[in-house]
Amino acid sequence: MHRITKITGYVAIILVVLSFNFFLPRLMPGDPLSFLTGAPGMDMPIVLDEETRAKLLTYYGLDKPLSQQFYDYMLGILHGDLGWSIYHNAPVSDILIGALKWTLLLVGTSTALYMVLGILLGAISAWNRGGKSDVGLLVSLLSIGSFPPFFLGMLFIILFSVKLNLFPAFGAQTPFMGYSSLLEEASDILYHLFLPATTLVISHIGGVYLLMRNSMLNVIGEDYILTARAKGMAEWYIMRKHAMKNALLPITTMIALRTGFMIGGTILVETVFAYPGVGRLLFDAVTYRDYPLLQGAFLIITLVIIAANFVADMVYVQLDPRLRHD
Amino acid sequence: MTEIKDLNRFWNAYKESRLGLIGLAILLFFVTLAVFAPYIAPYDPHEMFKPMEHPGSDHLLGTNDIGQDILSELIYGARVSLFIAFFVSVVSGIIGTAFGLLSGYFEMFGFFLMRIVDAFLAIPRLPLIIVIAAFMRPSIWNLIFIFIILGWPITTRIIRSEVLSLRTRNYVEAARMVGAPDTYILMKHILPNVFPLLVVRLIIEASHVIIAESSLSFLGLGDPTAKSWGMILHYAFVYPTIFISDLWMWWMLPAGLCITFTILSLTFIGYALEELVNPRLRGMTRI
Repeated sequence: MHRITKITGYVAIILVVLSFNFFLPRLMPGDPLSFLTGAPGMDMPIVLDEETRAKLLTYYGLDKPLSQQFYDYMLGILHGDLGWSIYHNAPVSDILIGALKWTLLLVGTSTALYMVLGILLGAISAWNRGGKSDVGLLVSLLSIGSFPPFFLGMLFIILFSVKLNLFPAFGAQTPFMGYSSLLEEASDILYHLFLPATTLVISHIGGVYLLMRNSMLNVIGEDYILTARAKGMAEWYIMRKHAMKNALLPITTMIALRTGFMIGGTILVETVFAYPGVGRLLFDAVTYRDYPLLQGAFLIITLVIIAANFVADMVYVQLDPRLRHD
Repeated sequence: MTEIKDLNRFWNAYKESRLGLIGLAILLFFVTLAVFAPYIAPYDPHEMFKPMEHPGSDHLLGTNDIGQDILSELIYGARVSLFIAFFVSVVSGIIGTAFGLLSGYFEMFGFFLMRIVDAFLAIPRLPLIIVIAAFMRPSIWNLIFIFIILGWPITTRIIRSEVLSLRTRNYVEAARMVGAPDTYILMKHILPNVFPLLVVRLIIEASHVIIAESSLSFLGLGDPTAKSWGMILHYAFVYPTIFISDLWMWWMLPAGLCITFTILSLTFIGYALEELVNPRLRGMTRI
């Protein structure tokens, strides 16, 4: 039962997002095309050549009735048709697929790192509550978490790329480099990944740390911890086997919510480091008022987040036996 | 009289927290800058002088690419950032609380409203804000509108879960049994008890709005007529030689630090308040 409600919920959310994406350009004053070419707040109007114009016209299908437009739009999505990018002059879906792997690499690596570090530090902090290490960790993690990701990224570029010349300031790979081996390619990619991933880890670790600390503090007050102590078990063993295991449960749901939050940081970090992912595309699309690309990027990001939420929900049901037989 | 006594007791508990006091001091500093900007700032932030001037006696932090005094921009920037943050957190707090109270108290309404809240929370916030902002005319009021629309669902969820637990308390049941009307119970017995939680939520929401606003402005989607700290960073970031010259020291660093310290102050205040409000965290060593 629990699962069915959840799945219906997710399907409904996907439909809402798709409809939002469909109606947003059509609700703007004028039609999407005239809006594109004379968008408010832009410095120069976009001049479309005949070919692009024709492609956009067929994509939006403005001469047809709205219901037909909606049907075509949904059918197009199912076939992977997300429209035509004005700036790149290529199908939006092709551009996004090329960028998605970089975003997944960046988000995946940083999520894994900040979750593990945040959980460990939070557990250590709670275990030594009120002690020097607790206070030190709490104050320093709350403080570094206050740096906005884009500002932190800019500081890293100045410090580690310009001043110390340790890491590259932009891109995901060295341009025009022929790799002689797979190992060489992998190390070049990791080398470029280091600064953006570190920026993301630092700006997101505080949230998980605080959650884990609070969750641990709740668990530490429980009777079974006292019992374990009374039995004379080693502190480290109690912390790992009795406290952390139970404190982790509420954290799982937060991972998914945090991933949505993290995507926001990724857009900014990719922009600062010119990292060729979906976030950077979103920034380019905003700068060049490339609305089809903007909406395509938004759709992909949202679908990835919803998928992550879904996985977290299913994992949570597996982890918490109380929910399994619902 | 009891209100003043309560406030006194609250303040006495709050000032035990060193983090809370540091946060409050930093926030007061920025609020003072914002309120008295015309008296503190050396110039009008829109006035143009010689562009790209290095820091000197005329311009303590130099001038930007179109010759505006950066220090004055920073001081006036406090107005924009703080105004948006507090306006949004208060209005979305009121809406969120109203919905939270109703949805916690009336089950059917709550069920349907929670499905809407779920949908809002499942969609990543910043990308959604970017897409809407890109389609709308960039103005402060449009930004405020978007932030309010996206801010209330979290407040609603938090207030609702608190109401759900308050509703089963003896005094609420007793009030219901003697026939008190729903509105009376909500206003007299439930609202005062969710209030502390709401204050924590307002502070956290304010810091989220500051991050969101500065991020949008940094991406070039802010209101060009009301220059916030994020907007200063945007112009600095797109300037070609920002990283390879010393420009960043007076153009980028101060604006970034203003945002960072504002968020820091709100984080510290929020943490100190949460310790006071959350009974589970209470009674531990205060920091």
